[in-house]
Amino acid sequence: MTPVITGEARAWADREYPDFDFQVTATDIARFARATGETNPIHFEQTAAVEQGHPDVVAPTMFPYVIRQHASALVRHDELESDGSPSADVPPLPTRRAMAGETAIEFGPPIVAGDTITVRKRLADMYEKHGKSGPLVFVEMEFSFTNQRSETVAKESFTRIYR
Amino acid sequence: MTSLPDVGVEIPAQLHSPTALDLFMFSASAWLLHRIHYDTPFTIEHEGHPGLLIHGPLQGVYLAQAAEAYLADVAKLQSMTYRHLAPAYLGEELECGGIVTGSDGEGIDLDLWARKSDGTDTTTGKARFVLR
Repeated sequence: MTPVITGEARAWADREYPDFDFQVTATDIARFARATGETNPIHFEQTAAVEQGHPDVVAPTMFPYVIRQHASALVRHDELESDGSPSADVPPLPTRRAMAGETAIEFGPPIVAGDTITVRKRLADMYEKHGKSGPLVFVEMEFSFTNQRSETVAKESFTRIYR
Repeated sequence: MTSLPDVGVEIPAQLHSPTALDLFMFSASAWLLHRIHYDTPFTIEHEGHPGLLIHGPLQGVYLAQAAEAYLADVAKLQSMTYRHLAPAYLGEELECGGIVTGSDGEGIDLDLWARKSDGTDTTTGKARFVLR
């Protein structure tokens, strides 16, 4: 069976990913909270968040997604594919048809306005399976999200499947 | 909910029929630039879909929200896994629900799903809550 993951793809996978710092503002939190239909005032009003024991407005649970998406896509226009995908996320494989992935995320202390969250990204695994319908390539990325006090606020692994 | 749920209890489902505006707001808030979520001609002509796609991560948010709406008073979401099984398109309604699969002195486990009206699951997952 001819391997689909070539030396070029291995080299692509093994590169270093620079850390990305996301400075979390109350506006970022309110924007995501509005977009996802949240109504709890702790996402919008500092006084409501303080009453609940937080220093400032609190991000919705799934906010780490916003942070890692910025880390991938906040790039120059010539670093984007014509479909809007960040070029750096597209592996050099014979197919670029990405399928449903799997996400596993663990949550730590809440993210609040004023935090600086550092995302560290690494390739955890890349492997291929050969099925009846042809080769499948699994690309598993790991993200860690750390605040300015070195607390891990979230860890996520995300697998994309190419066929 | 103030007491611990029993295994086998279904959580109240939340219905979502996101509009084009909802899809755009999610893309904008996350800086998610993929055109299949806001550019209809591109999505149909170049990607071969019947219409705009409801983001997988937005469905992940829906699952977390359904679970948190039920449990947030007694427990905190500690971890979640989810996978996408089928596409969900603009105009489709997703019923986001779940069932309690474990409940003990430390936490509560749930199976979660986003289900179309024809019964197809577009996203399924598992969540673990720890008691507050």
